[in-house]
Amino acid sequence: MNWIAKSVLWAVLLLIVVFYPHLFGLYFTNIFVVFAIFALFAVSFNMLLGYTGLLSFGHTMFFGVGAYATAIALERIEGLPLLPAVLIGLLAAIALAIILCPLLVRVSGVAFSMLTLAFGQLMHVLAMKLRWLTGGEDGIGGFPIPSLNIPGIVSIDISDPIQFYYFAMVVLAGCIWVIWFLTKTPFGSIQVGIRDNAVRVDYLGFKVPQSKAVIIILSSGFAGVAGSIYALFQNLISADDAFHVFHSFVPVIMTVIGGMGSFFGPIIGSGILSIIDEVTSRYTERVDLVTGLILILVIMFAPGGVAGLFGDIRKRWFRKETDKAAMEENS
Amino acid sequence: MNILETKGLYHDYNGLEVLFDINLEIKKGERHAIIGPNGAGKTTLFNVITGTYRPSRGQIFFKGNEVTGFKPHQLARIGMGRSFQITSTFSKLTAFQNIRMGILSKRGIRFNLFRKVDKMKAITEETNELLKRINLNMERDVPADLLSYGKNRSLEVSMAMATNPDLVMLDEPAAGMSRDETHDAVALIRGLTEGKTMVIIEHDMDVVFSLADRITVLHLGTILASGPPAEIRENQAVKDAYLGEMEGSDAS
Repeated sequence: MNWIAKSVLWAVLLLIVVFYPHLFGLYFTNIFVVFAIFALFAVSFNMLLGYTGLLSFGHTMFFGVGAYATAIALERIEGLPLLPAVLIGLLAAIALAIILCPLLVRVSGVAFSMLTLAFGQLMHVLAMKLRWLTGGEDGIGGFPIPSLNIPGIVSIDISDPIQFYYFAMVVLAGCIWVIWFLTKTPFGSIQVGIRDNAVRVDYLGFKVPQSKAVIIILSSGFAGVAGSIYALFQNLISADDAFHVFHSFVPVIMTVIGGMGSFFGPIIGSGILSIIDEVTSRYTERVDLVTGLILILVIMFAPGGVAGLFGDIRKRWFRKETDKAAMEENS
Repeated sequence: MNILETKGLYHDYNGLEVLFDINLEIKKGERHAIIGPNGAGKTTLFNVITGTYRPSRGQIFFKGNEVTGFKPHQLARIGMGRSFQITSTFSKLTAFQNIRMGILSKRGIRFNLFRKVDKMKAITEETNELLKRINLNMERDVPADLLSYGKNRSLEVSMAMATNPDLVMLDEPAAGMSRDETHDAVALIRGLTEGKTMVIIEHDMDVVFSLADRITVLHLGTILASGPPAEIRENQAVKDAYLGEMEGSDAS
């Protein structure tokens, strides 16, 4: 794809995102916000799975801590502006990651998955038990949502769903862009190197545990932002919503369905799950049945996920074209 | 001056002793081959020197400083490179990306999160140059696991060289290669390691005698003999332990 086609594609996508609320109405706007939140959550998760080869079964702890931190901050601190509230969510998730890192970087494979699962469960229990802070099972709801006020630049009231949509899109898309950029940096190369062959990375002179720590911290921070936006969107956060183990499997499923080998895979996965959820919940409550079936089909017939499927098709086309060119040259 | 020196090195795997009292001296600029029958402890010796394992006893000196117990990345940063017997390239990355990892390390670019690596012209140029030298520029964008075995082996050795080490330790660089491939590999290694100190483990005697100017024979975890090729060829103990056995197996 040349850069003209690429920029046209991006311009069209941008236009769709900008005019989406006016085209599809409030109901679908809210669905889109949830899709985008989970897209960021899944992309941050894929920094670990797809790019570094670490399968986390507790990624929702960072999402949840971000959500709770924002909710608690807004509840307790009077007049806290919006962006600092989101920043607190980000920092809280990073703080948790820094605490866990010394343990997490020393393990990989199954041990990493189990350790993250254990810490995720621990956070769930903490959220249930620390009632004075988290509100226990009921969670925290009805906290004040400040309006976005940057003097001289913007001033919008995000309690209006359409305004919230734009606010969320800028933050979420911005974060996804930053993650995309990170994968293109030298550090991104080291990340992929660790996934492929951590021993060799060590022998080339890079510190593997330290690099992993930076990745885990960054990934957690972005999950925290997703959680923070989620809390603002729902104006309610509960222990089950934030820390339940099923919630940790959401990005796993999204990433596998979308394709973990690709940067955009988790975003596609999040979109597919949103559509499945929307369509099937009209007919039945057993949404997971459909999701599970699709997961099985993807694992069996398209291990590269939907993004991998697209890649295969493109390669097949590409090969046809080069074959044709080669044949013409020979004749 | 010795670039690498081991003093009374011992190593055991959970009580199973594989290295006994290894005293190795590698001079700067030397091309040193380590040979020995299977199970002599050659790769273990490499692993102990390059930081995979900590020796159970003894000391290792690199460039005059003690480096016993250093981690592989620490050794890599002070100029010790290594290639592996079992190909250990980044299988999903292209030949270009594989070499680039080495170049990034050489230039000390590690935690750069603010620039796209593709936009770093000097890195790209240097990587392309090395790819051309090792005759892989046609396969620049082919993932390592789709390269032919011989090409993947060249990549393996070249990645170690890309970090521009002062001492490079090559573990059977020609393992599993055909005659022709071996011939190319020897030429490649000779070109890449020009002016550097090299320690090489090799089974193929042609490779050993054409590359090395000093040979150490390892047998059952101890050094049997050490000296220039001609001397080793004539050494009776070595013949008994190793060369004779090889000729016997060649004939069969």
